[in-house]
Amino acid sequence: MESAICNGDMEPAPHILVVDDDREIRDLLARFLVEKHQMRVTAVRDAREARRAFANGHYHLVVLDLMLPGESGIDLARWLRGQSDIPIVMLTAMGEETDRIIGLELGADDYVSKPFNPRELLARIRAVLRRAGDTVERRSEANNRNMRFAGWTLEPARRRLLNPDGAEVALTGGEYDLLVALVDRANRVLTRDMLLDLLRGRQAGPFDRAIDVAISRLRRKLEDDGRNAQLIKTVRGGGYVLAATVERA
Amino acid sequence: MRFRVWPRSLAARTALVLIAGLVVVQIAGLGIHASDRIEVLRLAQARALAIRIAGIYRTVVLTFPENRQTVVDELRHGSDLDVQVSDAPPITDLPRMPPIGQSLWRVNLNLSGVPPPQHWRGVEIFGGPRSRQIVIGLRMPDGEWLNVRAPLGLVRPWHSPAYLAAFLLMTIAAAGLTLWAVRRLTKPVRTLAAAAEALGRDVNSPPLPENGPSEVATAAAAFNTMAARIRRFVQDRTELLTAIGHDLRTPITRLKLRAEFVEDDEQRAKMLADVEELEAMVSATLAFGRDARTTEPVVPLDLAELLRTVLDEAGDAHPDVAAMLHYDGPAHMTVRARPLGLKRAFANLVTNAVNYGGCARVTLQPPSDSGTLVIEVEDEGPGIAPGELDRVFEPFHRGEPSRSRETGGVGLGLPIARNILRAHGGDVTLANRPAGGVKVTVTLPA
Repeated sequence: MESAICNGDMEPAPHILVVDDDREIRDLLARFLVEKHQMRVTAVRDAREARRAFANGHYHLVVLDLMLPGESGIDLARWLRGQSDIPIVMLTAMGEETDRIIGLELGADDYVSKPFNPRELLARIRAVLRRAGDTVERRSEANNRNMRFAGWTLEPARRRLLNPDGAEVALTGGEYDLLVALVDRANRVLTRDMLLDLLRGRQAGPFDRAIDVAISRLRRKLEDDGRNAQLIKTVRGGGYVLAATVERA
Repeated sequence: MRFRVWPRSLAARTALVLIAGLVVVQIAGLGIHASDRIEVLRLAQARALAIRIAGIYRTVVLTFPENRQTVVDELRHGSDLDVQVSDAPPITDLPRMPPIGQSLWRVNLNLSGVPPPQHWRGVEIFGGPRSRQIVIGLRMPDGEWLNVRAPLGLVRPWHSPAYLAAFLLMTIAAAGLTLWAVRRLTKPVRTLAAAAEALGRDVNSPPLPENGPSEVATAAAAFNTMAARIRRFVQDRTELLTAIGHDLRTPITRLKLRAEFVEDDEQRAKMLADVEELEAMVSATLAFGRDARTTEPVVPLDLAELLRTVLDEAGDAHPDVAAMLHYDGPAHMTVRARPLGLKRAFANLVTNAVNYGGCARVTLQPPSDSGTLVIEVEDEGPGIAPGELDRVFEPFHRGEPSRSRETGGVGLGLPIARNILRAHGGDVTLANRPAGGVKVTVTLPA
């Protein structure tokens, strides 16, 4: 089912490097990803082992716990960014916003907070892998830079949207993901399937309705008239497009 | 309002006692002074009169008896003294002067310079200050009596009005000084009360200055020690909670991973639900521990949109009540606040409304003249028992047991919301609506 969408044109089994200091979590996560979702996993306990593993293998993504003994996860993330563009999904401590922001500013691709839901982590991993595999979209060093469109500013590092007056506008996790996807691919049509995939793991309930609801809320927040939408346009045949010029800074 | 004789404040009471004492002392002093002065004046009066009478006596004694009546008439003329020569002691209805009074007059007569050969052969004294006149009979050497009736003027101790005015002025000045000094001396008590009040609101409020009179300094030091102990206690508790929360993250993560390997779908779903509940408790505990020392920066944010997002999320989490969630207010309103903190506070309030009241109506009122924003969160549930109203903000207090079972909270939702709102300079209060249900009123500085 969903794995077909995600892994369709990639190598059959993505190789994930898991860095977490708890042995049980490492083992369980590896089993979860390997047995249930056909990925290859190498699990290590700290930054030193992670470096060794990274030097000796080829990985598609790193799942990195920021709370590591010894050298911190932040430092390891910085080192990894210095080495390559490898996608990073961070495991952050609940409520430790500072770590999360630093990690995202360093160029980590996404995060889930601990204790995480394994399925949400899986969804994040897949979304990040898909973006990384999408060669057109793969940004070089433009990771997590602020994006401006039609007066609005999207700050990926802080996961927030600022209105033209500079005031923060609250977004739910799903709305944020949706908006990032739309802004990332501005002026290109996103199919409902692609958007559905984004929301999976973020939101409960019937997904197809969730898309419509999230789009209508985004329009409300962007002060985009739903009947005569100018910013987020509905495409006949099932899809949406953000009609705006996006500046990255 | 009833006028109270005994005032409530310590300063007023002390001042009242001191001023009453002062007035009593002044009145007593005045009395002593007056009686003393009356005594002196009487003495002077007696002396002056005795000299005059002795003079008359000498004149009359030295006059030949046949001429005496003429001399006496002459002396009486234009004088306040009634002088008579008689062959008998005076006849009067005045009582005889008591011996103590008599001796004063006798001494004065003796001192009046009448030469010794003509020493007094017989003296009769009647009347006195009480009857305002005196009658003195003096026996002359030849047996005739010289009887003098003299009025005794009223002795006035307050002959000078300036004296009374000065006295009044002195009393008023002393009373003023007393009031000032008492206010100054009781100021540390007010400071202490204010500090205790501040400590109740914020455990990290600044310590009292430990100066002033020794008792005050001691009290301030004791208060500061107590505040430090309370702070330490609160901190310990917070740190304990935070530590437990952190330590629980790993086992909860493991549980969540393990649940994925449970083959029975129903059991897995139930297990995950349990773990979610556990996680929610840990999350609330951590939030409670963290809010005490929030480090989130204050930024401009759209409060109206934040409230609507909170309602949207509540609707997503409880699709069955999504239609019962309403927002009423302007479409946008920019305030300066901590986005995550404020969102959590309102999410807690809306979650309570949904869990206990089955619906939520959030009303945002534009800032009033006083610059305060009012946000109301109302539900139509059973409300809160009046006795519980003031307890709901206590950490870990959870309404009735029957309710908390299904909501699964730890009783931190309202305390967290209040901590956050107070850290923003606002507050939150709860009341039962007349129509049923609870109305939560949040105030925030605009």
